[in-house]
Amino acid sequence: MPNASDTRPARRSAGGRASATLPDGAGALPAPVPPPARRPGGRVVRLAALVVGVVLVLAFPSMAPNAYILSAGIVVASYACTATAWNFMGGFTGYVSLGHAAFFGLGAYATGLLVRDLGLPSFVAWLVAGVIVLLVTIPVGIAALRVRGASFVIVSIAFVLILLLVFQAWGSFTGGSDGLVVPRPFPDLLRPEHHRVFFYLFAALLAVMLLAWWAIDRSRFGTGLKAVREDEDKAQALGVPTRNYKLVAYVVSATFTGLTGGMYALWFGDLDPIFQFSIMLGAYMVLMALLGGVRHLFGPLLGAVIVGTGLEYFKLEFGDTQFHLVATALLLGLVVLFMPDGIIPAGIALLKRFGPQDSSIREISAAELLERNRAAAGGPAAPGTGEDAAPRPRTGPDATPDDTEPSEDDR
Amino acid sequence: MSPRMSPRTRTQRALAVAAGVSATALVLSACSGGSDGEGGGGGGSDDPIVVGISLPLTGDFSEPGKGVQRGYEAWAQFVNEDGGLLGRQVELKILDDQSNADRVVQDYEALIAQDEVDLVFGPFSTRLVVPSARVAEEYGMLFVEPAGAAAEVFEQGFENLFYAAPAVADDHYNYLAEHILAMPEGERPQTVAVAAMDDPFAQGTAYGLRDKLADAGLEVVVDEVYPPNTTDFSSIAAKISDSGADMVIGGTQYQDAVNLIVALQQLNYQPALAAFSTAPTNPEFATAIGSKTEGILSPTGYTETASWPSNVDFVERYTALHGNPPGEDEANAFTTGQVVAAAVEAVGCAEQGECQQQLVDWLRNNEVDTVVGPLTWDETGKPQGAHLIQQYVDGEIQIVLPQDAQEADFVFPKPAW
Amino acid sequence: MTGTLLFQSLVLGVLLGGLYALLAAGLTLYFGVMRVVMIAHSAFLILAAYLAWFFNQQTGMDPLLSLVITVPLFFLVGVGMQRLLITRLRPVTLTMMSVLLTFAVALFIEGMIGFVWSGTQRRIQLPYSGASIEFFGARIAVVKLVAFGLAALSLALLYLLMKHSRFGQALRATIQHREAAQLVGIKTDRVAGYGFGLGLATAAIGGTALSLDATIYPSLHWHWIGPLMAIIVVGGLGSIPGAAVAAMVLGVGQSLLQVPLGTTWAQTIFYVALFATLMLRPQGFFGGRLAQRF
Repeated sequence: MPNASDTRPARRSAGGRASATLPDGAGALPAPVPPPARRPGGRVVRLAALVVGVVLVLAFPSMAPNAYILSAGIVVASYACTATAWNFMGGFTGYVSLGHAAFFGLGAYATGLLVRDLGLPSFVAWLVAGVIVLLVTIPVGIAALRVRGASFVIVSIAFVLILLLVFQAWGSFTGGSDGLVVPRPFPDLLRPEHHRVFFYLFAALLAVMLLAWWAIDRSRFGTGLKAVREDEDKAQALGVPTRNYKLVAYVVSATFTGLTGGMYALWFGDLDPIFQFSIMLGAYMVLMALLGGVRHLFGPLLGAVIVGTGLEYFKLEFGDTQFHLVATALLLGLVVLFMPDGIIPAGIALLKRFGPQDSSIREISAAELLERNRAAAGGPAAPGTGEDAAPRPRTGPDATPDDTEPSEDDR
Repeated sequence: MSPRMSPRTRTQRALAVAAGVSATALVLSACSGGSDGEGGGGGGSDDPIVVGISLPLTGDFSEPGKGVQRGYEAWAQFVNEDGGLLGRQVELKILDDQSNADRVVQDYEALIAQDEVDLVFGPFSTRLVVPSARVAEEYGMLFVEPAGAAAEVFEQGFENLFYAAPAVADDHYNYLAEHILAMPEGERPQTVAVAAMDDPFAQGTAYGLRDKLADAGLEVVVDEVYPPNTTDFSSIAAKISDSGADMVIGGTQYQDAVNLIVALQQLNYQPALAAFSTAPTNPEFATAIGSKTEGILSPTGYTETASWPSNVDFVERYTALHGNPPGEDEANAFTTGQVVAAAVEAVGCAEQGECQQQLVDWLRNNEVDTVVGPLTWDETGKPQGAHLIQQYVDGEIQIVLPQDAQEADFVFPKPAW
Repeated sequence: MTGTLLFQSLVLGVLLGGLYALLAAGLTLYFGVMRVVMIAHSAFLILAAYLAWFFNQQTGMDPLLSLVITVPLFFLVGVGMQRLLITRLRPVTLTMMSVLLTFAVALFIEGMIGFVWSGTQRRIQLPYSGASIEFFGARIAVVKLVAFGLAALSLALLYLLMKHSRFGQALRATIQHREAAQLVGIKTDRVAGYGFGLGLATAAIGGTALSLDATIYPSLHWHWIGPLMAIIVVGGLGSIPGAAVAAMVLGVGQSLLQVPLGTTWAQTIFYVALFATLMLRPQGFFGGRLAQRF
């Protein structure tokens, strides 16, 4: 129902008439308000930024001065993939899973075992591993999504820990703590070339994930998920099929994480349960996504770049202390306490502090608004507003000081 | 609450992303470009020879890892004191891999590709040797390592790998097996309990002995495996104690051996023979188990009383430096240095590239004199010697087998602990 | 499996269960009081164990004496944590953000422990470490008995505190229904702070008990947080008696399963129980009225 505070431009009526009309008995629609002036070329800037980003990614292997930096870049790319995959669940539904490394490890081991034991070609094994992770996640998701909030976190941690135990204990099948050696997909490549190929493969996987995220973001499914994030009970009351939507999001997230794990297995070649099923990896995923901003498409990627390069640097320079744990802890604490929406909104807020401050929510003043609404309602009578049809303004040149009638603004 | 972000925010966000990505890329290339200069590959003849090593200075294998570090540093120091290698001073660049298999790969990658070290020495523990050997192999580097002794290291098809110790894991206990089987039927232990860490080396040693004894008719009544981070041995100890086995074999590293022995002490289990790998060679072992070490056996590749010429010199200088004689880990590290130095001196080069293959070929075909004796290798890098058996006798570690290296009589049965 | 082995495992299980009970009681207390999942609880546990070891190493005295220092210290830290960190979080996302925040605290503690005392594994060597008592055919290690005794004593004291003191009643009221407690005049913020402190104090006691017979290293806390969280969910989040009962049941179960299945497989019992609880009765099995769902 329209009211005096409406600043939205008038919509076209069902009959297609452009001017404001009056539905039966409702108040007057305000006259079309011209939308706030768009920054010219805003879209162009975004596209340009995207192109620059893509060019940088594609050129990175050539820019990297040596093979070690390239391999560090692959590690960062794999972090970006896992963080983005995590964000399908964490960002859309708000369910934080600290044990997401479970799917990473499952994908990695599934790929490794399929290649080693069944002799499948590497990338076929990779896809099949993704399917396996998908199938495994369905019953797990049904169980885990019965609870919410903190219990869900506990369940996710329990899941990764139990997988750690199983993969360590079942040595005959998984190699246990001896590790699993995954044969190279391209045995004839030199090591730097090997790194190069896999960098592009990871980048391609990331691109697919980003596309999927973008598609979900704009879809009805995505809106349903966001409703779950904002208030699950109300969403359910409104008819959003929350249980199914959550499960789908969880499975999608897990499958992408599993595919990343499988790719990692093919690249790295040596798996150990302690690293593939590690809570630290799960924590890094969460930290990266949170830092970059869970609601943004490129948030996890940004977080991964920042945290990933930081981690590599720390481990190389300060490897003989536990300093990198302290640094991760401080960063996570900082993000949680002061920047829970991510670094981009925090950064923007900080920048805004230095710019002109907005003094009110609206961009037109109350008096102007009132004028406009009155003009739009001016012709035919406005029954819904009754005796308030022509209120006297309380402020401005026409104001009557002793006017005690409540004006429309007070509603 | 607006249904979508205002265009201003979106633009700013895009700009922020672009700026962030470009900045990071620039910083990365700048950083790495800068450090690229430091590496300084084999150039001038007065440049120090840089040796790259990754060791577990923290984490599960940190105790022996530090021992290996001391050994390498002692080697570098003595070599420099004696005039250097090929007339050049030797410099070690040691990174910490936190006993992590993925860290060790990144470390060696950084050392070889980024820092462009001239030579590499191997890390500690079989678990870490396999992935790091692969890195070295794929860069064409010679890889001599002090601690990867399990069979699987030699089954990977590495062509540049050499193990700098007398024997592989399976053969560590050969002399002990022979001695036990040589005992008269009535005196010999009849039942064996085995507990091994899920680690290729630990299992290699334990199962080598177990299999030889089982083949000869002894009964294996307990056969347990536990993951590396296990600290609670109450149930394994309960099983072993309940079985009443005459002999217990521990395929262990350090802390797990201590924990297992304490747990066995708590249950008052008294075996006639107790053999543990690695732990008893550590100086802190005795205090850690309450000084009840009498009779505990362990295989060792090294003894400081051995009379190999380079060993006498090594022990003397090391003791002068540290105040106590070197242990097995230090000796293995020193041996690695000796092996590589021999190849370098013989071939006459120390740098990445062609030189590495020449070093590999020389080692394949020659014998090197080291502090653990003369070493030769087969085509997979396996050494051709055998390990000694040590035992705590009267509170001291003494070599008891083989007979010709014996320092004290073999204690059997083991006194109560 | 022979009879003696079974009995021995049973005895070990009871001793272990007692320790789990004390640790789980503290963990469930945080949740009950503030709906906070305190992942850092086991990190504090390990910290207390390190402090006990350090005390023993420096002074040569029995580590149990370090309780005099660590218990009040941890109590104060707990109150401080609650007042300074937890209350800063927005109430809407409190549970989720508190998980992440306490996770960060746990990492911080692990990092600092590793920084100060390095990653080397530590174990206290006491004159009575290897001693044991005979008990109907089973042998009980003295150190395990002492740890159990300490845990049992602490739980008894906790019980007395909760049931028979004014503070305990206020605490239980806050756990049951925060707003109603406020309406009755209880200063719930302060009580919540003390509840936190109490929880950390139990961590101090538990850690010292643990240090008597365990090998400690910085990342050990991950080994404990899983089972402890499973215990509190099975027992019913927020319920101390529930946590204690679940701890005994699962501790004994783990010990009995270790014989046929081995240490590693036996540890899965906690997670199996957790998933079973979720499927069958998400509010926990032993909790009673105080148990929360999430």
